Amino acid sequence: MAEVFAAYPGLVRSSVQAALAYRGRMVLWVVTGFFPLLLMAVWLTVVAESGPPAGWDAGDFLAYYVAAAVLWHLSGQHVVWEWDGDMRSGDLSARLLRPVHPFHQYAAGDVGHRLVMLSLLGPALLAAVLLVPGLGYDVGPLRLALVALAVVLAYALSLLMASTVALLGFWTTQTTNVWMLWWGLGSFTSGWVAPLELLPAWLQELAVVLPFRSTLGFPVELVTGRLDAAQTATGFAVGVAWAGVFAALYVVGWRRGVRRYQAVAG
Amino acid sequence: MSAAPTPARAAGVPADVPGGVGRYVRILAICWRAAVSQQLEYRADLVAKTLMSAFWLAWAAVGVSVYFRFTGSVAGWSYAEVLVVVGLFFTVNGLRQAFLDPNLDLVHEYVRRGTLDHVLTQPVDSQLLVSLRHVGMANLADPVLGLVLTGVGVHLSGQVPGVADVASFLLLLLAGLVLMYAMVLGLMCLAVLLVGADDLGSVSFSVVELARFPVQAYRQPLQTVLLVIPVAFLTTLPAQALLGRLEPVMLLVAPAVASAAVAAASLGWHRVLRRYTGASS
Repeated sequence: MAEVFAAYPGLVRSSVQAALAYRGRMVLWVVTGFFPLLLMAVWLTVVAESGPPAGWDAGDFLAYYVAAAVLWHLSGQHVVWEWDGDMRSGDLSARLLRPVHPFHQYAAGDVGHRLVMLSLLGPALLAAVLLVPGLGYDVGPLRLALVALAVVLAYALSLLMASTVALLGFWTTQTTNVWMLWWGLGSFTSGWVAPLELLPAWLQELAVVLPFRSTLGFPVELVTGRLDAAQTATGFAVGVAWAGVFAALYVVGWRRGVRRYQAVAG
Repeated sequence: MSAAPTPARAAGVPADVPGGVGRYVRILAICWRAAVSQQLEYRADLVAKTLMSAFWLAWAAVGVSVYFRFTGSVAGWSYAEVLVVVGLFFTVNGLRQAFLDPNLDLVHEYVRRGTLDHVLTQPVDSQLLVSLRHVGMANLADPVLGLVLTGVGVHLSGQVPGVADVASFLLLLLAGLVLMYAMVLGLMCLAVLLVGADDLGSVSFSVVELARFPVQAYRQPLQTVLLVIPVAFLTTLPAQALLGRLEPVMLLVAPAVASAAVAAASLGWHRVLRRYTGASS
């Protein structure tokens, strides 16, 4: 295991360089990731017309959706498409020959990408907080540390979830559709469709126990100061538990799946 | 020997190809038939894509209902009326993904690999071949399902559109589609000018994505901006026409804007080609 993590710095460095080579594309990607802000714009109209829904005023929506837009870039998953492409083209065969398990190859590549993303989004977020009136986060050092932990957990859980779904590629060619379906259904309890507090009570209760909130809503609620100590602890516990579940599923799925793998282009 | 070749055939041009617009329609029909038959080979994939279209449509319709838990209408649009817009969004976006996106993605390849030279030597207007030759089947269910949702929205809103409403709806939808075509053609010009730009598809995606909601649901000044970058023309105005609350002047403005835009984009395309020097030279 130590050898695997020893390989990470090199793999991450090379993927950072690849991401930097296409920085124009990354800027474009940031600019086009505005979907949460679109949802926010409609909420702001609702606030202006009929008053704050469930006590959420304009500042609450601003803080929530700006954080959600940033988090989406840090934890949204694309590895399913990479797995799917490599399984179809047979490039997975080349990855199997390397000394590091493919999971870590994809993960390291993705981490490099996120680091570059973070270097773009960090200053952008800071500028937004300074320039946009009414946008602010009241965070002390302790909460900031917790938020950082929650973001790492969000990233790890969504990576594990996506990689587990990607393994279905050993059995079917529809993995990207399965992932979209999974993500789409999950988005009602992740805080993507709307802040969970604005959803019906039964969905809120469901969201607490399902894995999706840990990938987006939980860190966002934490940074916007909507959670007390008990809720924070529950959130971390649920996220860690699901990460364990998906890690186990991944290990089992890999062992069974890779035996079925026949290189398409081989 | 009754089937002696006519002079036209001898010259390599099938005699039954008419000139003018009819010729272009036939050429497109041939291109599209080939593309469709190729993609029909992956039938399971097609079924899956259709199911996914239905899923995303339902997702959008349910997702937008959250706003209406707290208010009866957003900027004067009831839930049923917003569904009309959401349906039109799927219609317009599906047509973009089926007919425009595959071609826009290829322009970058044509330029980078020099195959644009080959397109330019063919005896057909290059704009037609480059901008409309390929068609992607994956999202063809979107326009159909989108129109169904639009119909459902109109029904739920309790409106009964008259013949005049439907006619002006069709006119405005056509204007919106022409505008979208002009925008994508403009992006194709950019792709030729900026040789390395391989992600212009995300620009057209973004503009159309804004058309998910009626533009009135955004506050000023964004609302005016969206009239200028023609988001409002794509879904909001056709929906207003169908719901019988269109400002009549738009019946003149929309076609005029669309014609001007497509004329400008076409002029731009032919100008850009004059500056194009080919990858091999």
